[in-house]
Amino acid sequence: MSSSFDQIIVSEEWESSELSLLETLDHVLNRGLVIAGEITISVADIDLIFIGLNVLVSSVETAHEVLRKR
Amino acid sequence: MKLYAHCLIEDLDAFDTSTRGISGAAVRLLQIDELAVLVTDFNADTVAVTRENALDHASVVRSVLDRTTPLPFRFGTLVTEQQLRSYISARKPALQTRFAHVRGCVEMSVKIIREVSEDKAEARDEITSGTSFLEEKRRELLGSEQKTIEASEIRTWLHDHVDGLIRDEQVTTRPSEKLVLAAAHLVERAKIPQYKERMAAARKNRPELHFLFSGPWPPYSFANIELEFKTQFGVS
Repeated sequence: MSSSFDQIIVSEEWESSELSLLETLDHVLNRGLVIAGEITISVADIDLIFIGLNVLVSSVETAHEVLRKR
Repeated sequence: MKLYAHCLIEDLDAFDTSTRGISGAAVRLLQIDELAVLVTDFNADTVAVTRENALDHASVVRSVLDRTTPLPFRFGTLVTEQQLRSYISARKPALQTRFAHVRGCVEMSVKIIREVSEDKAEARDEITSGTSFLEEKRRELLGSEQKTIEASEIRTWLHDHVDGLIRDEQVTTRPSEKLVLAAAHLVERAKIPQYKERMAAARKNRPELHFLFSGPWPPYSFANIELEFKTQFGVS
């Protein structure tokens, strides 16, 4: 199998581990095979509730801002 | 004792016995008919949404991606072994159809972000009469229509760039938001280099848009066989 499968690729424009994490969260929390009635999650860790698409955009904008200031 | 289900696979040889799941628990293969589920034993009633747990889930699903294409379960899938066996036995034809659909493929993700003008708030400050109010409303409606047209154009434009390269796609557009489009493309593994080239070319053609590409992913967006589900949020 190609080595290209070893690593997540993120845009050249905003490459960062945070974006990679956000993309991972977007996939594992919003999508996937669902067994009826069996998704049981706890949302106590408020700091990690940054999963929504709007927050993803905010993170992208933040990253962009940081890059512009360099 | 419940089981935490990570993903479903059809190639049992793809499983690496050293794989660790949520909280470092050992992952085992639960064979059900000719399919198998990567599971860990789980003692609690809910799964905490933490960075570590989400990454552990993704890591287990990803561990088999080099050798086979799994059907990932959504994060937080806690079941008894009996429930899992019943689910797979009852839906085996649909699951096999889904496997056939994603076999040999991976998911590639594209998010497109555009600048949204902020002139609406400024215009609202200038409203001094009924006429200006109606004019402002008209501007809003026209602006909304224009954004919908633009979002539709971006969707068509992106599709034209991947046409012939993808097996399936899931696309969401949000005309009034900065994140105007989110797409998941199901791409055959052999076509990934070509797909990347086309995306790179597409990006150069639209400098006014911002792109976020990621992948390859297990086919999270193409795994589900049902739309009906119940989510329980237990705040602990």
